[in-house]
Amino acid sequence: MLKVEINRTLSGFKLDVAFSVNGEVLGILGPSGSGKTMTLLCIAGLLPPDSGFIQLNDRVLFDSSKKLSLQPKDRNVGFVFQNYALFPHFSAGDNIAYGIRHQPKKEVDRRVQLLIENMGLNGLRNRYPRELSAGQQQRVAVARALAPEPEILLLDEPFSALDSLTKEQLEMQILDLRQFYKGQIILVTHDLAEAYRLSSRIAIYDAGKIAQCDLKDKIISAPVNRKVARLTRFRNFMDGIITEVKDKQVWVNVPSLNAKLQVAANGHKDLAVNQTITIAVRSEHIQAVTAPGQNILQGTLNSSVENLASINCYFDLKTNTDISYRLEAAFAKADAPPLADTRSYYLYLPPEQMVIMTN
Amino acid sequence: MNDYLSPLWISLKTVLATTAITFVLGIAAARWISRYTGRLKPIIDGVFILPLVLPPTVVGFGLLLFMGKHGWGGKFLALFHTSIVFSWPATVVSAAVMAFPLMYMTTRGAFEQVDTNIENAARTLGASEWKVLYSVTLPLAWPGVLAGTILSFARALGEFGATLMIAGNIPGKTATIPVAIYFDIVDGNMKQANILMIIVIGIALTSLALLAYLKRPKPRDRGRISANPVPSDILAAGKKRDTSS
Repeated sequence: MLKVEINRTLSGFKLDVAFSVNGEVLGILGPSGSGKTMTLLCIAGLLPPDSGFIQLNDRVLFDSSKKLSLQPKDRNVGFVFQNYALFPHFSAGDNIAYGIRHQPKKEVDRRVQLLIENMGLNGLRNRYPRELSAGQQQRVAVARALAPEPEILLLDEPFSALDSLTKEQLEMQILDLRQFYKGQIILVTHDLAEAYRLSSRIAIYDAGKIAQCDLKDKIISAPVNRKVARLTRFRNFMDGIITEVKDKQVWVNVPSLNAKLQVAANGHKDLAVNQTITIAVRSEHIQAVTAPGQNILQGTLNSSVENLASINCYFDLKTNTDISYRLEAAFAKADAPPLADTRSYYLYLPPEQMVIMTN
Repeated sequence: MNDYLSPLWISLKTVLATTAITFVLGIAAARWISRYTGRLKPIIDGVFILPLVLPPTVVGFGLLLFMGKHGWGGKFLALFHTSIVFSWPATVVSAAVMAFPLMYMTTRGAFEQVDTNIENAARTLGASEWKVLYSVTLPLAWPGVLAGTILSFARALGEFGATLMIAGNIPGKTATIPVAIYFDIVDGNMKQANILMIIVIGIALTSLALLAYLKRPKPRDRGRISANPVPSDILAAGKKRDTSS
């Protein structure tokens, strides 16, 4: 278990976060400069927080109220740096052995060999970091961090410098790692898909604060605000006023579009008539239909971009102002309607797939 | 007795002692200042470099005031009933003060080139600050540390002004080669001056050769980590070199 409460003010930036990790993989997701790496440095003791409290299992690592701060060497925290930070003057084997040199030589040897096998580094033990590929370097960095059996492993954007194929293989390796490393992991990333695949819970960082920390499915299906929704790839947002609440269904008036939409409450229990809310809908949930009706908006095609398996279409919807509303829809290639610039389309927003955000 | 042997012997003793002292102090000061984050950093840095900027005679005069009867250093040494002015240790003190900035500046630059993440990695792996220094920072900064050592060695060998001010010219005691040459020429003893000059050139060339030898490319890599996979032909070449070492 790791308990973290950190405050740190830097010129023009304030990190103020609190979260805990319970023997799981926690993903920290956020844009660059949101304080993700700073959090890891604080946990590892490489950067002092201004104030706060950090506890790892039964040991207090940092407590500003008692002026207590363990040195990095005494924290038993494994750290994998973004650039791996291998010792260039040591071989892969010596890199891995660095943290366990105080143990008997036989034990060091056994442990290094075990990690080399577990991380798929067979035959590379005597290579120097310069002689290893980026993926191999990363695996050496993970093995090195795991050698002293840390109580928590911190991974700082471990895949950001890799090509997509290597990245996929290494992600598998990290998932496999759970079989022989029973400790907990914090994974910092700016890639939603990566965080989703590797972690069980995700903390969304925004400008030094945690916008939302939840089980990963909750993050995807019930973002608490626009920023979280943007980061989890919601593309369409509409502001509206609730006109009716009935049977877990909500009717929302969207004045700018002159539309009345039906939205599923999806777990929201405190919705009331006349409340202003924001509705979000993912581009892939929008369907093209042939006739007008409830939850169906009319728009003209502005442009489209073809992806590997889908087509992203940008529709202009009529609004009560001069500026039209741009709706983004993603159709699977097989389901895409015939696309022509001049035509007008009927776009269906399924009530079950829309998300309500109250703040 | 050959008159040129005594200055040579004094100079060698002085230069070796000076190099050892500046090596340790220079590394300690460079390490400390590169980790120090306080406001006084530029001032402390300036004080450390000051002897390099000042005329040697000014430094020598300052040392004389400091180490003399009425200076703090002199008063402190007087507690132990000793004094260093116009004795052999004074040649070491003056040369060390003059050589220190070169060791400090070069080493500091080399330390700051070392990737902080690599040092931090060592810390998270349980290394004490002392272990980080000797197992990571020094090996990675070694070319710079070596260059600083050679530079301070050379500076100590050539030290004249400050040494003359505080150690004087006492044949057989404080007369280092540069001081001896000066007074030989003043006294018109040209043969003696010529021999000493040749000796100094010999020492200089030897130390430059030593530097070149120590800085020769090593089979193992000290460079920064490359993010790109190394092409296989380079890999093969690297392996060949490894087996030969």
